[in-house]
Amino acid sequence: MIAYSRPFWPLFLHVLGAMVLVGSVLVAVICSWVGWRRPAVPALARTAFWSLVAVGIPAYLVFRVAAQLIYNDEKDAFGGSDPTWIGIGYGVSEPGLLVLLAAIGFAYWWKKTGKPVAPRIVAGLSSLYLVLLAIAWLAMSGKWG
Amino acid sequence: MSTVQWLLMLHVTGAFFLVSGSVAAGVFNVLAARAERPSETALLLGLIRITVIAIGIGAAGTLIFGIWLWHEQGYGIGTFWIWAALVLWVIANALGGIGGKHQERTRKLAEQLAAAGDTKSEELRALLRDPRGNALSWLAGAATLAILVLMIWKPS
Repeated sequence: MIAYSRPFWPLFLHVLGAMVLVGSVLVAVICSWVGWRRPAVPALARTAFWSLVAVGIPAYLVFRVAAQLIYNDEKDAFGGSDPTWIGIGYGVSEPGLLVLLAAIGFAYWWKKTGKPVAPRIVAGLSSLYLVLLAIAWLAMSGKWG
Repeated sequence: MSTVQWLLMLHVTGAFFLVSGSVAAGVFNVLAARAERPSETALLLGLIRITVIAIGIGAAGTLIFGIWLWHEQGYGIGTFWIWAALVLWVIANALGGIGGKHQERTRKLAEQLAAAGDTKSEELRALLRDPRGNALSWLAGAATLAILVLMIWKPS
């Protein structure tokens, strides 16, 4: 029951931050797959980069801080053994940050050089991150385990 | 997993498609307005059509699984926050649809200009800055955000 009855603000910010993060990664996925065949179009590289930096990073911080506030409030209710869905959430959010930062780095390289390999790497990293985020939202909303 | 857990997972998945698709459309819209050349504006506004697929799946998913959850969880027929969310869902879709037509008109003009020298015209600038056209899309986003508030707050 505790999973469905939380204070408003931390849960709202956690969910909103996660949804905005997914939106920013979706922009990078679309731009980089379109850029696969058109790597020299600056608008695609610029849009992928700024979406991840100006929207994705703030959204990540909001969703991650709110998640920690919720966890700190509720961890005692789990009796020292976190359910699977929390483990999946942590498992995606922390290594996922590295994938996000790597995607930003390669998007910056794409923006600066327009090299054909850059959008392909951004497409791989951002698509991987989108899949990881989808697994996390499915696990957390379905309360797996 | 229970039926309610399945339905909640699918309902939340719909919400992720709806909100993240709207955020992506917003990012493309903002950066299209700031693009220097009409060809870039046309390209970015054209990519919004991909996000519309996610928004459509999300809008349908939230409605179908939301109404199913309403029945499954035994909320009363007069539950205020559910009716308020349904009204906002209709408003968000209507405003988003009208705002989308404005973006499509802008994209077509940008494509024409791209084919004829790729220089911005006053008409394109006016369409990109049109407060009414942009307000429709932002209000659709605000209505979607209000639905999220209601879903988490659940005021009686």
